[in-house]
Amino acid sequence: MIPGNKDTRDGILFSLPFLIVFILFMVYPLLFGLYISFFKWNILSTPVFTGLQNYQDMFHDQKFYSSLLHTLEFVVITTPVLLVLGFAMALVVTGKSPLAPLLETVFFIPYIFSMTVVATLWAWLMQKDFGIFNQVIMLLGGRKVGWLTDEKYAMWSVCLATFWWTAGFNMVLFTAGIKQIPKEVYESAEMDGASYWQSMTHITIPLVAPTTVLCLILQVIASFNVFGQVYVMTGGGPAGSTRVLIQYIYETGFQYFRMGYSAAMSYVLFAIMLAVSIIQYVVLGKNKEV
Amino acid sequence: MNNSSYRKRNKTNSVLLRILDILVILIWLFPLVWLFLTSIKLEQDVVTKHFSFWPEHPTWYNYTKAFTSTYILNWLYNSLFVSACTMVLTIIVDAPIAYAFAKIRFKGKNVLFWMVMAGMMVPFQVLIVPLYLQFNSYGLINTLTAAVLPRVAFPIGIFIMKQFFQDIPDALEEAAFIDGASRWTVFRHVILPLGKASITTVIILSFINAWNDFLWPLIVINDNIKYTITVGVANFQGTQGTQYSLIMAGAAIASLPQIIFFLIFRKQIIEGIAMSGIKG
Repeated sequence: MIPGNKDTRDGILFSLPFLIVFILFMVYPLLFGLYISFFKWNILSTPVFTGLQNYQDMFHDQKFYSSLLHTLEFVVITTPVLLVLGFAMALVVTGKSPLAPLLETVFFIPYIFSMTVVATLWAWLMQKDFGIFNQVIMLLGGRKVGWLTDEKYAMWSVCLATFWWTAGFNMVLFTAGIKQIPKEVYESAEMDGASYWQSMTHITIPLVAPTTVLCLILQVIASFNVFGQVYVMTGGGPAGSTRVLIQYIYETGFQYFRMGYSAAMSYVLFAIMLAVSIIQYVVLGKNKEV
Repeated sequence: MNNSSYRKRNKTNSVLLRILDILVILIWLFPLVWLFLTSIKLEQDVVTKHFSFWPEHPTWYNYTKAFTSTYILNWLYNSLFVSACTMVLTIIVDAPIAYAFAKIRFKGKNVLFWMVMAGMMVPFQVLIVPLYLQFNSYGLINTLTAAVLPRVAFPIGIFIMKQFFQDIPDALEEAAFIDGASRWTVFRHVILPLGKASITTVIILSFINAWNDFLWPLIVINDNIKYTITVGVANFQGTQGTQYSLIMAGAAIASLPQIIFFLIFRKQIIEGIAMSGIKG
């Protein structure tokens, strides 16, 4: 009675529009990128096959190492802080405060602004001579801090802006996770005399574990892809001390037009991200079974 | 401890907590307040050693200047165009396959589904060089079309819609088929109306993604007048010197559409994130 014999035809027809776009703008460039990573090519000349040369070059490229290191630095700093911050916000927002709904909106608001607006705004807040951070420090009798111009602080400053911008996203995920915990669990714990701290460590944290895992995986991927904030706030400086890998890939490809080398680095970044994701999946998956 | 002193302590505690709440709210909103305050000051009151919090001569000068001396209206229009096209094409392309995954039994469905989900793992940044070369060979560099097309295949969106379409009872479809409806009619008149909530979510998420996109339009568009708003704002400093009050006015104008969008769709945006997060 249902058009059963036409199912295969219908399935293909309904999948077709997506498949065309998917193959054209995802599968094909993915394979094409791998292909050109074996060539030396500056767009204008004809590509020259150089085998694994691009990949070998990376091993001797100081800029590649330092950019990769800065990306890793960003991942290592932002991931734990953004998870803890997002979780803490979710606790506040799901708590008993009459201001909870307002707090939820306030925490989320920075996320609705685009990255470039957030980055320009924070670059202004942190401006060395006239930015408000230093103005306040000076009023209190301190000394100017080179938030974005001092190699010691620049990466941390970019991270700080990122915390403010995206913590609200993780809050939304954690809030959804916490709201799924049945109220009865807390009520019975309270009747047994559990303190707030106890019910948090023994109920909330273990029961939101799936959300935590999800947040962790999403956050690591997002942090590996960092580019915009750094590009707008410091331009990779001072002295390349905040240049991240995607910025180097961008510069190599679109300022120095070394397409093959740029593509090769993209693939190395992809491989690293894939490896990290798989490791997380295996390790965290195991933990869940125990 | 007797009951009344316990209650008293509880009360002081909760007052302290409320004060803390308000403090946190003020701190979190401060950067935005500062953005606005800077934008209504004159540059000479901004770049000065005589720091003052409130604007002494509040003015809309920077806003007028942003509109007249930069392409900000063009940038806004371009972003709107790119986001609207991305949104519409995303639904046209992604909703049918989500329906196929949810309701149609066909050969190769599982393989296809996992292929699409694997697409979620590919970071867009990996594709920028080959995509650029591809669009270069089509002669589409420096066009808004190029900013739209690679963003249309949206695996997370397919996943969200598929989960939702699955929960629509088969009986409704069957009834329509008995009445002689075709697949297309069922999709158009049963699935789409009933799946409205998930489609709204996907529309909103794809719109936000397109609006906030930075790296790809930065690469693919070269003319100042064709920039999207994100790229335009990022280059503000370069084209306008470093006039902080003007830059902040530009940032405020650039954010206005998003603020309005958020005020209208607050619930759906937050639900959309929670949904894609929990199920994804």
